[in-house]
Amino acid sequence: MRKTLLLIALLAIPPAARSAPAHVHGAGHLDVAIDKGQITIALELPLDAAVGFERAPKNDKEKAALVAADKALKDAAALFMPTPAANCTLQSVKLDMPQFAGGEHADIDASYVFRCAAAAELKGIETTIFKQFKRLYRLETQRSGPNGQGAARLTPKHPVVSW
Amino acid sequence: MNAVLRLAALSAWSRRLTLGLTLVAIVLATTLLLAVERIRVDARQSFSQSVSGVDLVVGARTGAVQLMLYAVFHSGAASNNIGWNSYQAIAGHPAVDWAVPLSLGDSHRGFAVLGTRADYFRHFRFGEHEALRFTAGEPFASVFEAVVGSEVAARLGYAVGQEITLSHGIGETGMGEHGDKPFRVVGILAATGTPVDRTVHVGLEAITALHLDWVGGMPMPGLNIPPQLVAKFDLQPKEITAALIGLKQRSDVFRMQRFINEFRGEPLLAVLPGVALDELWQAIGTVERTLLAISALVVVVGLAGLTATLLAGLNERRRELAILRALGAGPRDLFLMLTAEGLLVTTLGALLGLALTSLGSSLAAPWLLERFGVVLGARLPGAGELELLGLVIATGLIASLIPGWRAWRMSLADGLTPRI
Repeated sequence: MRKTLLLIALLAIPPAARSAPAHVHGAGHLDVAIDKGQITIALELPLDAAVGFERAPKNDKEKAALVAADKALKDAAALFMPTPAANCTLQSVKLDMPQFAGGEHADIDASYVFRCAAAAELKGIETTIFKQFKRLYRLETQRSGPNGQGAARLTPKHPVVSW
Repeated sequence: MNAVLRLAALSAWSRRLTLGLTLVAIVLATTLLLAVERIRVDARQSFSQSVSGVDLVVGARTGAVQLMLYAVFHSGAASNNIGWNSYQAIAGHPAVDWAVPLSLGDSHRGFAVLGTRADYFRHFRFGEHEALRFTAGEPFASVFEAVVGSEVAARLGYAVGQEITLSHGIGETGMGEHGDKPFRVVGILAATGTPVDRTVHVGLEAITALHLDWVGGMPMPGLNIPPQLVAKFDLQPKEITAALIGLKQRSDVFRMQRFINEFRGEPLLAVLPGVALDELWQAIGTVERTLLAISALVVVVGLAGLTATLLAGLNERRRELAILRALGAGPRDLFLMLTAEGLLVTTLGALLGLALTSLGSSLAAPWLLERFGVVLGARLPGAGELELLGLVIATGLIASLIPGWRAWRMSLADGLTPRI
């Protein structure tokens, strides 16, 4: 019995690799690449973190929640704030809301591109995403830029990637 | 004032045994604290300096940290191999600027043997984007040529032209020698302070060539393919351990990572080396902080011992202090005397601790390098160490104020009145 439990426990440990992309409610992924004055941000959120359910909306309230999430995620200038001195402007937003084609989970994928006039001043990026989505507790962040690569865990108390 | 300090010194000398033991406790406690801090900082430093300018490390699907440790640092558990086809598919991706295959598993007298391409010496970067340099010779060009790291050359006394044989597996000797196919050292790399120094580099084809007449991990009896015939075989490897990838544009890195992680042919893993290292630090950060906290507690215990010794001394020195008072020393002088004594012992202890740490780390450095690949720099104490040293002395000052204050409060009559 104990061995079975141990086996189950071992199997339950999530692999570190993002193979079949990990899906943890409350936790999203953020990838930030900085190259030649351009910031590329890729965001992946469990739909649950944004709206509280992971299926097709059943009533008007849920439909409204989806629309609100869509709007908030498209308003990138309010969502991500690079160091003001770097003078960055939003170039493009691409948002993939889930299509509810079945399956247990649903994720939101979004990508944003900023262009910065004074890239040397760029010291970090702050996000207001935790204020927008109260069911989001952390963002596992990878970054790659002129100062090297790094990992960080963003939380409502520490919503900043810096380098 | 001077007279008071002179008296304090003489008085301390007369109690040298107890004070000496307290001093030893403080020295050891400080050494422990500083050693933990130094290893912590230097381990981080030597790991993060080991690879730069590589966008992705690709290997079999395992943990990010494990793949990094094995592929780049040649330590930890070996990861699975990946197919040559997968490597080619990734290397041929339009976003990829360069790709260097790595094949591990053989060794030479305890040093890891890395099978790779001559491109490795061109693309590999360490520290602040520094390229590898040759102190002698040049990259390998044909099958049975090897390039050795600076430490391999120094420890084994190799020069260009030296003939060496590689061994199968990681044993010092005996697991199986590739004695029939000797290599010639054609290049020696400059010291980098990274695992490169402890590596023998050979061509990827050489690894295949070595194992041509091997079956199931053993030399096949009766079959021996001499080195001069090796070129007649297809030396393209069927599998490699990992690959280093550099991209044309950094902004592609996450797209490429996803492409590799979702690769159709076989389960692969792509990690950003810097991200994997940060994850490693996040994982062991708690342990580091615990170690540092325990060492800090040991220092507090040492200083509490100092306070206790000085306070106990006060009782013995009741008469001595009373006589000093009778001779004209004010309460302030006694306070100064006692505090100065405590502070002096702490400062001396802290400085001796620093000296002991430096001595110990220079003695332990070769062992740490060999066992864990951690480079302990022979250097001046870092900012963190000085801060800790300052904290020890400040805490020592506070601890010495207590006996000082007691001495201040002792009345003149106290020591002169015989007690019943």
